[in-house]
Amino acid sequence: MPELNRRHFIKLVGLSAGAAAAAGCADPVEKLVPYVIQPEVITPGIAVEYASTCTECPTGCGLRVRTREARPIKLDGNPEHPINAGALCPRGQAAIARPYLPQRFDGPRRQGRDGNSQPVPWQEALAAVGAKIQADGARTAILGGQVGPTLSGVIDGFAAGVGGAERVVYEPFAYEALREASEWVFGLRAIPVFDLTETDLIVDFGSNFMEGGPSPVELMRQFAAARDLAKHPNGGARLVSISPRLTLTGANADEWLAPKPGSEGPLALALAAILHRGGMRAGGDTAAVAQLLSGVDAKAVAAEAGLEAGQLEGLANRLAHAKNAVALPPGVAATTANATSAAAAVLLLNAILGANGRAMTLPASDVAGAPAPLSEVLALVEKMKAGAIDVLVIHDANPIYSLPASAGFEAALAKVGTVVSTATLPDETSVKADWVLPQSASLESWGDAEPRPGIRSIQQPTLRPLHDTLELGDLFLELGRAAGASDTPEGSFREVVQAAWSDTDFRRALAKGGVFNAAAPANVSVGAGVSKIEARFPKLAGPGEFALVTFPHAYQGDGSSSDLPWAQETPDPTTKLSWSSWVEMSLATAEKLGVTFGDAVSVETPNGNVEVSVFPRGGIRDDVIAIPMGGGHTESHYGSLAGDGFEGVARGVNAISLLSADAGATGGRVWLGSNASVRRTGRFQRLALSQWTDNQRGRGFAQKISLAALAANGHNGADGGEAHEGGNEFALPYDPANDASPESEYRWGMTIDTDRCTGCSACVVACSIENNVPIVGEEQAIRHREMTWLRIDRFIGDGDSEGGEARRPFPDRERVGETDVRHSPMLCQQCGAAPCESVCPPIATYHSDEGINAMVYNRCIGTRYCANNCTYDVRRFNYFDYGRENWPGNLPFMLNPDVTARGQGVMEKCMFCVQRINGARQIAKNEGRPIADGEVVTACQQACPTQAIHFGNTKDKQSEVVKQADDEARKYIALHELNTRPAITYLAAVDRSDDERSHG
Amino acid sequence: MTPPPPGAEALALPVPKDSIYNRDIMAVTKGFSLKWLALVLLALGGLLQAVGVFAYQTYTGLGVAGYQAPVFWGVYIITFVFWIGIGHAGTLISAILFLFRAKWRNAINRGAEAMTVFAVLTAALFPLIHIGRLWKFYFMIPYPNQRGLWVNFKSPLLWDLFAINTYLTISVVFFFVGLIPDLAIARDRAPNGIKKLLYTVLSLGWQGTGRQWKAHSRTVLHLSGLATPLVLSVHSVVSWDFAMSVLPGWHATIFAPYFVAGAIFGGFAMVLTLMIPVRRIWGLEHIITDYHFENMSRFILFTSWIVGYAYTMEYFIAWYSGVEWEQTSFFLRAFGPYWLSTWIMIFCNVVAPQVLWFKSCRTNVHLLFVLSVIINIGMWFERYVIIITSLSRDFVPAAWGIYIPSPVELSILVGSFSFFSLLFLLFLKVFPVIAITEVKELAIHARDHAHGGAH
Repeated sequence: MPELNRRHFIKLVGLSAGAAAAAGCADPVEKLVPYVIQPEVITPGIAVEYASTCTECPTGCGLRVRTREARPIKLDGNPEHPINAGALCPRGQAAIARPYLPQRFDGPRRQGRDGNSQPVPWQEALAAVGAKIQADGARTAILGGQVGPTLSGVIDGFAAGVGGAERVVYEPFAYEALREASEWVFGLRAIPVFDLTETDLIVDFGSNFMEGGPSPVELMRQFAAARDLAKHPNGGARLVSISPRLTLTGANADEWLAPKPGSEGPLALALAAILHRGGMRAGGDTAAVAQLLSGVDAKAVAAEAGLEAGQLEGLANRLAHAKNAVALPPGVAATTANATSAAAAVLLLNAILGANGRAMTLPASDVAGAPAPLSEVLALVEKMKAGAIDVLVIHDANPIYSLPASAGFEAALAKVGTVVSTATLPDETSVKADWVLPQSASLESWGDAEPRPGIRSIQQPTLRPLHDTLELGDLFLELGRAAGASDTPEGSFREVVQAAWSDTDFRRALAKGGVFNAAAPANVSVGAGVSKIEARFPKLAGPGEFALVTFPHAYQGDGSSSDLPWAQETPDPTTKLSWSSWVEMSLATAEKLGVTFGDAVSVETPNGNVEVSVFPRGGIRDDVIAIPMGGGHTESHYGSLAGDGFEGVARGVNAISLLSADAGATGGRVWLGSNASVRRTGRFQRLALSQWTDNQRGRGFAQKISLAALAANGHNGADGGEAHEGGNEFALPYDPANDASPESEYRWGMTIDTDRCTGCSACVVACSIENNVPIVGEEQAIRHREMTWLRIDRFIGDGDSEGGEARRPFPDRERVGETDVRHSPMLCQQCGAAPCESVCPPIATYHSDEGINAMVYNRCIGTRYCANNCTYDVRRFNYFDYGRENWPGNLPFMLNPDVTARGQGVMEKCMFCVQRINGARQIAKNEGRPIADGEVVTACQQACPTQAIHFGNTKDKQSEVVKQADDEARKYIALHELNTRPAITYLAAVDRSDDERSHG
Repeated sequence: MTPPPPGAEALALPVPKDSIYNRDIMAVTKGFSLKWLALVLLALGGLLQAVGVFAYQTYTGLGVAGYQAPVFWGVYIITFVFWIGIGHAGTLISAILFLFRAKWRNAINRGAEAMTVFAVLTAALFPLIHIGRLWKFYFMIPYPNQRGLWVNFKSPLLWDLFAINTYLTISVVFFFVGLIPDLAIARDRAPNGIKKLLYTVLSLGWQGTGRQWKAHSRTVLHLSGLATPLVLSVHSVVSWDFAMSVLPGWHATIFAPYFVAGAIFGGFAMVLTLMIPVRRIWGLEHIITDYHFENMSRFILFTSWIVGYAYTMEYFIAWYSGVEWEQTSFFLRAFGPYWLSTWIMIFCNVVAPQVLWFKSCRTNVHLLFVLSVIINIGMWFERYVIIITSLSRDFVPAAWGIYIPSPVELSILVGSFSFFSLLFLLFLKVFPVIAITEVKELAIHARDHAHGGAH
């Protein structure tokens, strides 16, 4: 071959360029093209955050929507928002997937009742529906979920404008009883607001405020503040939980009373009576109260509730001696037919305790567009049945699923001429609609919220609609125009929102997330309405031998969040079950029925029956069974098996189908109203259980110290320095700061305060979304192949090494009436002497200069030795291509571009959000300074409602993480005696139960 | 020709008047009996189904195996260790017994050496199957490359890679060197054709001259010297895959001798499993006598006691250490969810071999065959117990899980036996299954002794 000269070279270049160009003609080439005109706010590679409002439940938490290149990739709490103050619950975190869900309606559809469904253009759909509404506006009804004030105003305007359409705001969890009760007791209809921060004794009358209720994140934050050991050396507030089953709140309580379900009201009244007689009548010194309480026989109540009289007296005594006690009213799971009395009794108790105006306040008004009681919904159903409704518009609600079958909603729907659904996803109700006019996802829409007077939170779109959808506000405006409604505002809904906020600096409000000038609470006192309170115990319907407790799922709520992949995948904080429904029953009950974990039983009430797998546990009364809500969807991708090739088979069961549709005494919904009988079926359906024993066998993962030991700075006897078990001669002292390169300025470390950790699992979801951790699905979860980098281990007590083979893979150490639940958040400990590093042949995992136990994913060949050798079991292996298989459709849009998405056959684990460290490093480098303390916030730390997690540089002795770890009494290292030199220091929980339990 | 009576005098083999050894041993390679063909087809079928299943696993993902956290190793690693163990007896018989001048080895050493090579080849497949993405395996090989990758010499898995490759190399060389004189015999007896060509090439021009014999015996001696430490090292290194970890149930200093003894134990059992049918089918009772089997039985009995001692020691140390997780791990090993596999292991490896105390049992070929299969099963379960029970009950009780082998893994396990059997069956038809020259040598020595000839 002749030597390559210049001419020859140019010829070759020309030829190859021509060939490349020719190839380009044939196939469309996908290229990453830079912006021709750079959008003002978008810098590729830099995240932009927008303030918004979470709409997953009606609480109205503030959001910071993290977007990358105009795609929302993560939801964080808005630190400036007074309700959630920077944290976000797991359900809110999971909602990031909503706009990207694969089954979303991609545009308006006309559906036949025979099931066929055709796309139609918006103009045609709006014109057709508008004409129907215009025909007789008064025979139109709007049934929809709770929305923000401005949107609510638009809908009301539409209803009025078309000639008096009926609007019913329908939420399954409408807290009717609480609203009515505050009217009874204080003469003002609203949901009371609690502030636990300054309290010293909290009595939870079945509120289960940590797993749901009106404001879980806020209350958990206040709860942690009230127990902050830095401020309260005596441990701060004590929590007494009253519930027939051990809830997450009960798990964090210092005392658990397990009376008969439905006893909350009578017990609160009995306590009020005891205190009242004892002369404590701070805010309840009226004749009506005296008369009401004079008839209460506390001993009889205690006996009927199944408590010892001493327990009640003891609690009363503690309440009497508390300086700032508060009682929390019953939540959904404790809503009996008599719930208004129960809630009113608790509010009255608060008045008597003097909590009214301190720990409990009543907002001056109820929220705009508050949900209607069930009776109004049923009245609408009756109208529909009578053929009085021609057009029914359903938005943000799924009544066929969430109303009991006996309400007859589905049959009533058939009598309605035209059913319009604005659902974003196919659900039980929207598949029955004649028209689907899909609304945009919440992250694509404008809106606002005013959860409390003066706290105005704005919701702004952070994503252009991915499909041919309209924001709900625009949809009603357009529909109004099409129907010729009078007084329809001009312009788009955005302009309506802007007009509604015209009294504020809109731009600043957008940047901040809203305007937060909480209005002064109403100044209320106990009124004459208290005489309506009845002391009687509710009577449960049906012949069954068990009281049926149906409780909101921790992440799926009433079932409206069942579609979210992480709401399915994340293990329930109490049972550690995911993906399906279960029935909890006591160990004795299970034994009596001859069933065990996973055996399917038939649960029957007068209203229906379901077949569901058994989850035996110690922490539930023998006469109670409990089923979570949220399961049993027949239409949805993640919530049912419809997307897994088993069309129409429900995942889990719909507990609501077991309930009666009858409204309670005051028109509210009844969630605890039935007895159930249980029959074994002989079938078996394995449940996805992520933790198979609650016995930590004395290995000290989750440690607890007594108040005395805390006071003595850890010197509680023979153990010496390290206050707890695990400290022995093998455990060598070390400083994690030494486990980095000497040249490095940083050695990243973490502290986890298990005293603050409630186990809510917000961190688990936050971590997974930040780090592109895939979900694995039910079948894989059953096989223990969940991918979460961070898990919360839940143990009962210190445990012991007696027997304990895992033939009983369920929590059998719980005892009714005892609570010593320990939560141990477990993630990669970034060991200084990591067992995983030395065994990896291709050096896919190694120790970085900054002390992080780093994974190089594309070096990993999958020997999996590291996972075997990891003493903390935090490594996760991609057995399948989970990332590709389980994120269909648009879901990959939510991936964090800063984090590699892992492929099949690769090991992965927590790396202390190294992408965030590097992001902060870049900023610091640009400014020519080291990374400041607090500049790097890990995803788990950010999401934590109680700020249990601190992260920082252990080489900086002034850093918060070093200060936190400098707690001789409480600090401990997981499996210290293995001397793996973890970078995570745990702080032991404090046992607050020993000082004045019940007697005092 | 009646076989000589069993016992020490069995060494007095008949004098090769007309090269009966040449004839009888080479007869094995002749013809294709239906039985042989059936076995080959069976093995081939077993292998092909495993290849198909492996392709399915590679395409779908390792998830089709039964792994569940925290058990990240399963049947593949168990079977890997099992075959490495089997691959032990060959070198032990060839090298160590050679050095110890245990002449009785001559009748079985060829079969054992072949078994070694095939077992190591079978074992070597499993790391590839285990990692799931076999095309990434070369990441483990240290060679200068433009990607700047290097390997971690601290990892026991890397030691393993070297140990096994070394062992495979030396086993193949040893096997081949021993074969050369026999290949010459085969060459001389083969009719013209492809077989003749094969033997001609492989026998490297062997003429049986004094000089060649001298070189040959020296080579064998030196190779024996080289191979002897390997017998001890390979399985020691394999045991360090476990012992170098921190896991309760793995992290034990006794592992190296324990594994070596176990490997010899299992290896001898496998020799019996293979040679008993070979002897029966081709009527080689006059060459492989009951005396050989008896000697092997004694070895098995002895190593069974070492293995039993190791089992006992593990439990004793777990108790004596006072470490909670060690105690729990071993308690659950015996009485936890995997109790059955543990008791199978103890029965097969410790209890069953005790019948070998009785001479009647040591010379009962049928019983020996059954026993050897039992021991093979027991040795597989030994690795199952070590790997699965320890992993499934590790440090964090909250993460404990249960591993159940999936049909995919069991297919591949069956496939490994098929692969090994196929290689052995083909070997029978190509190479002399008994070292002809060595047996002859033995017989001539015996004759000289019998005739009172001086040495």
